[in-house]
Amino acid sequence: MNLLPGPAQTIAICLSLWLPLLLLGYARFLSIRSAGSRFRIGCVTIVALFGLACIALPGERQFDDVVGGVLLLATAILLVYVFWSLLAWGFTLTLLTALAQAGRPLTEEQWAATYMQGGDLGTFAHNRLKLLLGSGMIVAANGKVSTTAKGLIVVRLVKLVRFATGLG
Amino acid sequence: MMSFAFGIIGVAAFALMAPVMQWLTRRAASSVSPVIVLAIAAILSHLASVVLGIAYVPEFKYWNAASIFSFGVMSYIFAFGAVYKSVSLEILLEVTELPAREAPLSDIVERQVPGIFRERTNILVDSGLAERTGSGFVATAAGRKLAGRIARLRRVFAIGDTGLYDFPIERRR
Repeated sequence: MNLLPGPAQTIAICLSLWLPLLLLGYARFLSIRSAGSRFRIGCVTIVALFGLACIALPGERQFDDVVGGVLLLATAILLVYVFWSLLAWGFTLTLLTALAQAGRPLTEEQWAATYMQGGDLGTFAHNRLKLLLGSGMIVAANGKVSTTAKGLIVVRLVKLVRFATGLG
Repeated sequence: MMSFAFGIIGVAAFALMAPVMQWLTRRAASSVSPVIVLAIAAILSHLASVVLGIAYVPEFKYWNAASIFSFGVMSYIFAFGAVYKSVSLEILLEVTELPAREAPLSDIVERQVPGIFRERTNILVDSGLAERTGSGFVATAAGRKLAGRIARLRRVFAIGDTGLYDFPIERRR
């Protein structure tokens, strides 16, 4: 049994650990406000560094080593994205931070207004609908929204994933 | 390359084990969170596949097996997270289940989203992070502690605290 990672895999592990630090650095030095854009730039950076390292490393590359490295790096990107998306777009977590920051009891309406920083749940609904509209899953016309063919495929996929993962 | 095969066997074992464990947890009305159930399933299936790999492959390369296993499991968790509590997908699913697969915009704004809001406030109350006080809600000590940690992380990573998606058109406004 060989417990040691290959050279490309070692680089992938190091870059994986480096990704959160890179995002931290980009938060300080890049004037990009969008969390999504900053995450994408961070990912492109580590993928580019991995590619460069694979070219620059001395000696012959082993195919299984590089494939393993790519998979480890992809795993790290997915893992960091799960936490990143929770921090940036997590609905329940943001509800909690809004309630805690208020520092006093809030009614349901006040809580919604605090969460939306003065707006209302309508603003939130439109924000989430924009995602569905922008990705072509729904269309809006005459004050109504309807599911597109693409949306139907996504719905079937979601139901399949829910069934396969035991969510029902 | 045989080491990769045992990584794939681990992923298959995880994909079979995780839903069964989720179902059993729900059936037992256990308070164990779905994320913990996934973590237990991942550890068990990884250990089992590595032990099998060591037994059957003389030159078993742990990191080859671990790379494909971690990617497979992470993809599963990613898909699970995407469908578990996504507001956008909840709206899409509800619209699709209506006759003619369409809904008035006002219905989404005035009924669906407030319903999702109430469901999430209930989750916070049930998990002990918020509590009801008369007609209102307040964060518990545990809720304030978690909220403080989240706020610090958001500050460090320069992430806004609105929870809204950043669309280019909104940034121009």
